[in-house]
Amino acid sequence: MTPADPALADLDEAALVEACLAGRPGAFDLIVERHRRSVYQLCYRFVANHEDASDLSQDVFLRAFRGLKSFRGHASLSTWLYRIGVNVCLNRVSVKTPPSESIEEQQFVDVCAQSPADRLLQEERGARVRAAIAQLPPKQRATLILRMYHEMSHQEIADVLGGSVGAVKANFFHAMGNLKKLLGGFEP
Amino acid sequence: MNHLKPEEIVDIAEGTRGEASAPHLSTCDICRAQLREMRAMLSTVSNVDVPEPSPLFWGQLSTRVHGAVAAERPRRSWADLWTWPRALVPAAVGIAVIVAAVILGSRAPIQPGPAAPAAAFNAGNNADALDAPDDPSLNFVADLTANLDWDAASEAGLTGGGSAEHAVTHLKDAELRELARLIKEEVARSGA
Repeated sequence: MTPADPALADLDEAALVEACLAGRPGAFDLIVERHRRSVYQLCYRFVANHEDASDLSQDVFLRAFRGLKSFRGHASLSTWLYRIGVNVCLNRVSVKTPPSESIEEQQFVDVCAQSPADRLLQEERGARVRAAIAQLPPKQRATLILRMYHEMSHQEIADVLGGSVGAVKANFFHAMGNLKKLLGGFEP
Repeated sequence: MNHLKPEEIVDIAEGTRGEASAPHLSTCDICRAQLREMRAMLSTVSNVDVPEPSPLFWGQLSTRVHGAVAAERPRRSWADLWTWPRALVPAAVGIAVIVAAVILGSRAPIQPGPAAPAAAFNAGNNADALDAPDDPSLNFVADLTANLDWDAASEAGLTGGGSAEHAVTHLKDAELRELARLIKEEVARSGA
């Protein structure tokens, strides 16, 4: 892969999409570079394991490339990518229940100033919560992830998932209730 | 007693609506417990990060996407060609025939009239252009139609607007055979 054209880096979102559509080399690479982390995190929250999240992220970007002509700029590029990501993840989870990673399999490089014991405890808690989220019904899962980790409003989530704001809030409420049951006696 | 709806509990737990707006809360243990649980879960969930993958992963992901997109590009262009409107194909044939008829009309006056633009063209100072080396394919078409006069061309439909395609696509069997024979003969002669 060649490095992105430095001139492209100055382009705003709309201009970058135009550059992609015009076939400018490196333009789509730059979109990937800007959004790969958030797309990966979205996918990871859905499936709770690195391998599947990695494959899903690639799929999201490939679909985005195919559908770039349909991007109208009414929403931000990141919201549009989340919409694709949610659809890709929902399709995947409807045919496969992904195995979540055990704590030993995860590649932590967190260097926060905690003692090793505290860090291990926090990692263990995080892994349990992520695994529980990955077991929620798909729409509840999508609602919780978009609301809690991608700071989307209820209206934006309704736009992504389809349905009303009231339905999104109800989904969110039930997601939290189900999550509590899945976590059992877990103390945060 | 009307309990709070899930949407109302969510709004109060997220702080977009004050507890004071729901007086029912002060009298209902069930709703207060639900609100308390919702707040606790919000706190639990919000403190969970996605484990950071290896720093090398991001470059690998970009490379994978780049490769997948590059593999997509040729396939897409062929797909685009395939989805061309089929109506363009006969239209292109028709245009080619019309262009050939116009060129031939300008090179070989069939029935030059006194005010005909073609006659003026041929009688003008274009001798140099006519003496220039000819395109072999045009010579071929000119040879085929050397004995074609204007009336015959009109009957064949080559002179009417938009009728050339009709003429080509409505040849009789005998005419088609003759056309094929002439083309084969010319191809053999030119060694193509």
